[in-house]
Amino acid sequence: MANRKARPTLSPEICKGCGRCIDACAHHCIAAGTHVNPATGLVPVTLDLERCSACGLCLEACPEPYGLLPEGDEAAAEPTGQKRPPAVEDQPDTRVALPALRPLVVKGTYASAIGALLAGCRHFFGYPITPSTEGAELMAKLLPELDGHFVQAVSEVAAINMMYGCGGAGLRSLTFTSSPGFSLMLEGLSYMVGAEVPAVVVNVMRGGPGLGNIGPEQSDVKLACRGLGHGNTHAIVLAPATTQEMLDLTMLAFDLAFRYRNPVVVLADGYLGQMTGKVTLPDELVRPGLPGWAVHGDREHRPNLVSSIQLSEADLEAHNLRLIAKYERMARSEQRAELYEAADADVLLLACNTPARLAKGAVRALREAGVRAGLFRPVTLWPFPIDALRPLLRPGLRVVTVEASHGQIEDELRLALSHAGIAPPPLAHVRRYGGVLPKEEEIVSRVLGGPERGVA
Amino acid sequence: MTVFYERFERHDHATGLKAHSTHYCPGCGHGLVHKYLAEAVEQLGVQDRTVAVSPVGCAVFLHYYLDVGNTQAAHGRAPAVAIGHKLANPDAIVVSYQGDGDLASIGLAEIVQAAQLGLPLTVVFVNNAIYGMTGGQMAPTTLPGQKTATSPHGRDRTMGAPLRMAEMIAGIDGAVYVERVALYDAKQRVKAQKAIRRALETQVAGRGFAFVEVLSECPLHLGLTPQQAEAWVRESMTPVFPLGLKKDAKVEAWPAWRPPSFDPQRLASVVGASTEAVPRFASGFPRTAFGPDVGIKFAGAGGDGAQTAGLLVARAAINEGFDATHIPSYGPESRGGTSYADVRLAETEVRSPAVPSPHLLVAFNAPSLARFGPAVLPGGVIVYDSSLVPERPPGLEHARIVPVPCSRIAHDLGRTAVKNVVALGALQAAASLFPDQSWLTAVRQALADKPALLPINEQAFAAGAEAIRRVEEVVA
Ligand code: SF4
Ligand code: SF4
Ligand code: SF4
Repeated sequence: MANRKARPTLSPEICKGCGRCIDACAHHCIAAGTHVNPATGLVPVTLDLERCSACGLCLEACPEPYGLLPEGDEAAAEPTGQKRPPAVEDQPDTRVALPALRPLVVKGTYASAIGALLAGCRHFFGYPITPSTEGAELMAKLLPELDGHFVQAVSEVAAINMMYGCGGAGLRSLTFTSSPGFSLMLEGLSYMVGAEVPAVVVNVMRGGPGLGNIGPEQSDVKLACRGLGHGNTHAIVLAPATTQEMLDLTMLAFDLAFRYRNPVVVLADGYLGQMTGKVTLPDELVRPGLPGWAVHGDREHRPNLVSSIQLSEADLEAHNLRLIAKYERMARSEQRAELYEAADADVLLLACNTPARLAKGAVRALREAGVRAGLFRPVTLWPFPIDALRPLLRPGLRVVTVEASHGQIEDELRLALSHAGIAPPPLAHVRRYGGVLPKEEEIVSRVLGGPERGVA
Repeated sequence: MTVFYERFERHDHATGLKAHSTHYCPGCGHGLVHKYLAEAVEQLGVQDRTVAVSPVGCAVFLHYYLDVGNTQAAHGRAPAVAIGHKLANPDAIVVSYQGDGDLASIGLAEIVQAAQLGLPLTVVFVNNAIYGMTGGQMAPTTLPGQKTATSPHGRDRTMGAPLRMAEMIAGIDGAVYVERVALYDAKQRVKAQKAIRRALETQVAGRGFAFVEVLSECPLHLGLTPQQAEAWVRESMTPVFPLGLKKDAKVEAWPAWRPPSFDPQRLASVVGASTEAVPRFASGFPRTAFGPDVGIKFAGAGGDGAQTAGLLVARAAINEGFDATHIPSYGPESRGGTSYADVRLAETEVRSPAVPSPHLLVAFNAPSLARFGPAVLPGGVIVYDSSLVPERPPGLEHARIVPVPCSRIAHDLGRTAVKNVVALGALQAAASLFPDQSWLTAVRQALADKPALLPINEQAFAAGAEAIRRVEEVVA
């Protein structure tokens, strides 16, 4: 090997004939070759070691690891058929009992941050953006007290890549962001999906497009469900509707992220992030193990690689097929929905996040007015909980999607129906934008046949 | 040859010669830099602990060759990925290996932040003044006048001057060791080997951020033979990119990081969760005329304590085993000096947390009263600060309207800030939501860190309630 004083031996098959070694040798032992090596199409140098002083300088000059080898080391260039070390076992997570604790009264972003801590996350990477920042601020305060790490990254782009590193090392990391920041993270999310790196991104959605405002919107549904960066990507998308769910679903998100080796997106809205409510704490916290695939920087995990590059088309197609099979497993096993007064409904409101709570209020008002209304609340936006919806779709049922976006949730419904081969029921909607949420009365009046709010 | 894989399995599945040869062009400097890095890893005995982060660029396949933990990063993001690895496992020796497009163009923000944070990391920066992998376009380090695919007439003034990264990084406080080296002759190669080892040692010793810029040859895109390329680096690059040590700061090693804690007691205390049960005083959900769901709005100017009052009500309800939500005013108004809080109480579950039409309104000033008074539901209660709203506004006959001089009472108690608690006392007396003890428990919890303020808050609550009784007497 280089850096050793020894005479060289040449592997003519490997030598690219670059001639760097020729210049290096003061004794002119090495000369440009004259014969093309048919295996490489290159012209290897030739050695004549009669005057060789074993200075080793040629070894240091050869860019090829196996081009010039110190005498005696030639064997290394021969294929030994040595097998790579076997894959390491996963170190499983353990659950540690918590004492009985009284409920917390905290805002949504705090509940989510505490959920992450309970799920064993000790690393936060993020960039401040309203209305998600308070979650980051709480992490900045609490993580040092648990000997964890908080990094305020130079941008959302850097933050998501720090998470790629931390997740690649097999650890749990969290970020809080909001719509414009989420856009910036999409590149990194695509790499995470491609390299199968787990992480949890909590997006407290705000009004857009562009800088928009800091009011609550749900207009990143298409990004989270259909547009996680370039390539054939998918991630489980969880949509909490209460402060309690901000905690519960953040905990679940870590579990799913590591179960599937994939990022998980928690989509909240600005209202939910700010809202204070009651949060009951779980009985246990998670002390995370270490997955066998991690690039952790230790002996056992040394053979591992975290990467999304597959140069050959065949390899990349096979990789895509593996990912797609994984998406299908997620779609089969991870659909979640909440049904409220849905079983006998003639009108089914479909809503998630805060609008689902407003819709719940509307269901009650409608029932009082004698209309059999119900609520279907997707808790997973991707995969869409079509299995829970299917049995509710009797003839005569109307579905009214209530959302703070331009039909992004309705589009998920339409796609899910279409993929399931179900003819869509009559669809209507209540949509608000720009930080305005649909109001309960507005939903009620729309269901009772009122006009759609439009541009006058 | 321990730090190179014995067979390059990842190089096109080690087909034929690829099992032992690199994908680099003849004479490319990358192979040498790989070799020196491999040697340094071996000499320092850190092969098991090393994580190499490969860039986008010709060195994207670093993981074909180096038998260490390998991660492949997005274009320019390798330093951010390296930070993630280092903080995940501070024992890991993390190397970010990058080219000039990756580090000095698309990844400027990431490299600058990594240097600024100063974590013990090693960055190996291969500068060959051109984009290799994408096919010979202009790099930030392309020389003035140099022709590339995107500077076909030569780099001119409109394209800017070359970026000197080593000098730039050396100017950042977090960087500890910075050196620029080259590969064009035996002497330079020895220096390059030493510098790369030094950069790794800096990390192994926990001293901090180390950066080695290697002037390297890209014979392919320079259109030169390897020997000509060596000469070009020596003659053309080194005058623009002076070789040598740029920085070697004397710093203390970073203190050892403690492993993260998963101790349940510690976590509970850190998040402020208490094992102490809260006493309950209410015999049931408040029997108001409003049904199973009560909406309350607190409205005033910033500093009136509307949010605190709202949170106290929500906390009292939750202490009593009910559900409650609180939402602060949202949107641009919150910057305009006004502050509104929506609170909803429900026996089992709050459905809609917004309170556009409250059952109960506490208005701390005239604009708030004018704005939200008309929205109060018929039969509702309006408490307003009569010290600031001298004239009772007309048109609010649908609700029970209760003037309380909250500010004056608070002022007389010696602390204007408690006017919101005065208002709460009044609200309780007017609407009897919970037993007084529920309120005071919530106040006590909120003041857990400032027990000295408890007495005055208790007095404020009592004075608010008392004021209502006086108003009632007058009315009777
Ligand atoms: S070891 Fe020294 S003398 Fe011998 S061939 Fe190599 S460079 Fe020449
Ligand atoms: S330096 Fe290595 S690859 Fe180049 S000519 Fe010499 S032996 Fe061949
Ligand atoms: S294109 Fe340039 S940098 Fe890339 S491998 Fe070839 S010589 Fe090296």
